[in-house]
Amino acid sequence: MEIGPILRAMTRNKLGVVLIALQIAFTMTVMINAIFIINERNRMMARPSGADEANLFHFTSIGFGEDYNERIVVADDLAMIRQLPGVVNASTTNAIPVSGSGSSTGVRLEFDESQPSVGVAIYRTDDQLINTLNLDLLAGEGFTESDMRYRSESGATLADKTVVSRAAAENLFPDMPLNQIVGETVFLPGGVEVQIIGIVETLQAPWPQSSLIERSMIVPEMFVDTFSLYVVRTEPGERDRVMAEIEDLLLTENSNRVLRSLRSLEDTREETYRIDSAMSTVLWIIIITLVFITCMGIVGLAVFGINRRRKQIGTRRALGATRPEILRHFMVENLLITSVGVLVGAALTIGFSIVLTTNFNMPTMAWYYTPLGMLALMLIGQIAVLGPSSGAAKIEPAIATRSV
Amino acid sequence: MLQMTDVCKVFRTELVETHALKNLSLTVNEGEFVTITGPSGCGKTTFLNIAGLLETMTSGEYLLDGVDVSQLSDYQRAKLRNQKIGFIFQSFNLMPDLNLFDNIDVPLRYRGMKASERKQRIDRALESVGLLARKKHLPAQLSGGQQQRVAIARALVGDPLFLLADEPTGNLDSNTAKGVMELLQEINQAGTTIIMVTHDQELANQSPRNIHILDGSISDAGAALRNQPTSAVDAVA
Repeated sequence: MEIGPILRAMTRNKLGVVLIALQIAFTMTVMINAIFIINERNRMMARPSGADEANLFHFTSIGFGEDYNERIVVADDLAMIRQLPGVVNASTTNAIPVSGSGSSTGVRLEFDESQPSVGVAIYRTDDQLINTLNLDLLAGEGFTESDMRYRSESGATLADKTVVSRAAAENLFPDMPLNQIVGETVFLPGGVEVQIIGIVETLQAPWPQSSLIERSMIVPEMFVDTFSLYVVRTEPGERDRVMAEIEDLLLTENSNRVLRSLRSLEDTREETYRIDSAMSTVLWIIIITLVFITCMGIVGLAVFGINRRRKQIGTRRALGATRPEILRHFMVENLLITSVGVLVGAALTIGFSIVLTTNFNMPTMAWYYTPLGMLALMLIGQIAVLGPSSGAAKIEPAIATRSV
Repeated sequence: MLQMTDVCKVFRTELVETHALKNLSLTVNEGEFVTITGPSGCGKTTFLNIAGLLETMTSGEYLLDGVDVSQLSDYQRAKLRNQKIGFIFQSFNLMPDLNLFDNIDVPLRYRGMKASERKQRIDRALESVGLLARKKHLPAQLSGGQQQRVAIARALVGDPLFLLADEPTGNLDSNTAKGVMELLQEINQAGTTIIMVTHDQELANQSPRNIHILDGSISDAGAALRNQPTSAVDAVA
């Protein structure tokens, strides 16, 4: 290998080499950090909410009129919906996972409110939500109708039982097995004492960006006013048909209301994560553009170098270089330039990642991103220079004796 | 050592067909110093390119050290050039970004020689042209004559079967040219065969054998036997 002479020759033509190496370094820095951000977004978007999203839809009902009694209307609605063909179950709730809208509260192990609390999302629902969302009950049991509490004013929670998500349970009782956590008592604001009667595997909070995303609790409590949020689970493949029929059926049942926001949970998820999804697309476009520009730079430098050295290449051929040896010469030359670029790029990538982690509360980048990025850029560099190098290998040795 | 029989070279374009060499037959034996002269465009460089395996011939037979080169692949021709032929070019053709040591190292690297042997050979070659002390210099730091000496060292370093020199003094002043010519004669006297293309009839007259090419054919091989009784008779097309 001619690494020594190639390196020494490169040091005599520093400017072009340095510029391309810097371009590679910056591209690598942006590329790796952008891919990390994209992967983080994808990981976030792929987290399961715990609900059977493919078969769920939801809508709101806003009643009006003096004789509108929400408690009766909701009971009638749920009874009617649950009897519809294709429907598995239906519930009313104050919030829907991944919807972006809901309530949170602080949970303590002690009555004393000066003690630190664990933040959780709170779902105030009827007694059927666990089945309606098709949550995976790990320990304990769900609610019964007798557990339900009804309220018409804001204030302390009335329910005395709760089902919590596994993450919430483990956060509250880090050293206890799940089946022992069932039966434990926790305290809500106002000193309200509630007993944990069940633990579900996953029930995400409604806010995707929240740090308490995996911590949630369900209480059997319904707020009686004029606003109701319904969630319905159907048999697989029946969702869209039921959605199309339900509005007319409910308005026939009771016309003193407005039905709004009828949509599937999949659509809600898509809407909630739209910005994240768009950002991923934008970042991919930036990565592809940068890599393309860098490839063009590598190709440009290679073509310029080859055209400038046509006679030298011919001379090398005359002195005995075979075509593969000429090809290898330029591939090695590019590999050396790219190596300088990716080494500088590795330092910049790690530095930039530290800045992101420190200032923007991002998770730490996994160790393998940088070496994989280096490898990818070196491979891209080799592919980019393959064409010009093949062209160089085709230069005839007779060019060595030509005067121009 | 070098035997060409009825060698033709035709350059074809859509409109024109140029016969650069016409039934050229020539034999050069080991130890000869042959100069090739002729007017511009007569086919001297084409002859040199074919003799040096830089170009392929259109027809004819060329035996180099007993090997029929017409059947060789590009790869085999490159290897044969590397092992058997030393080139000296009019404009030296040194790599401007490489120092003298690395320049002379070029053909040896393509031979896959070990570093220690390469170093030994390079130092010996540089010493033979009086430039060992300047082996870390770049070509641009040398005069034209010195650069051509480096090119000669590069041509000799692989112990080739013969040297092909294309106007080696063409870019040099007369004093320097004389020095280079004397060096080539010394090399020849040491046993290396030299075939030199030149415009300079005075230089040609200094060689034991001068071949004159005109319109792609050898027009005068008469001087061939003047000082070289061992050389074969050249066939005139």
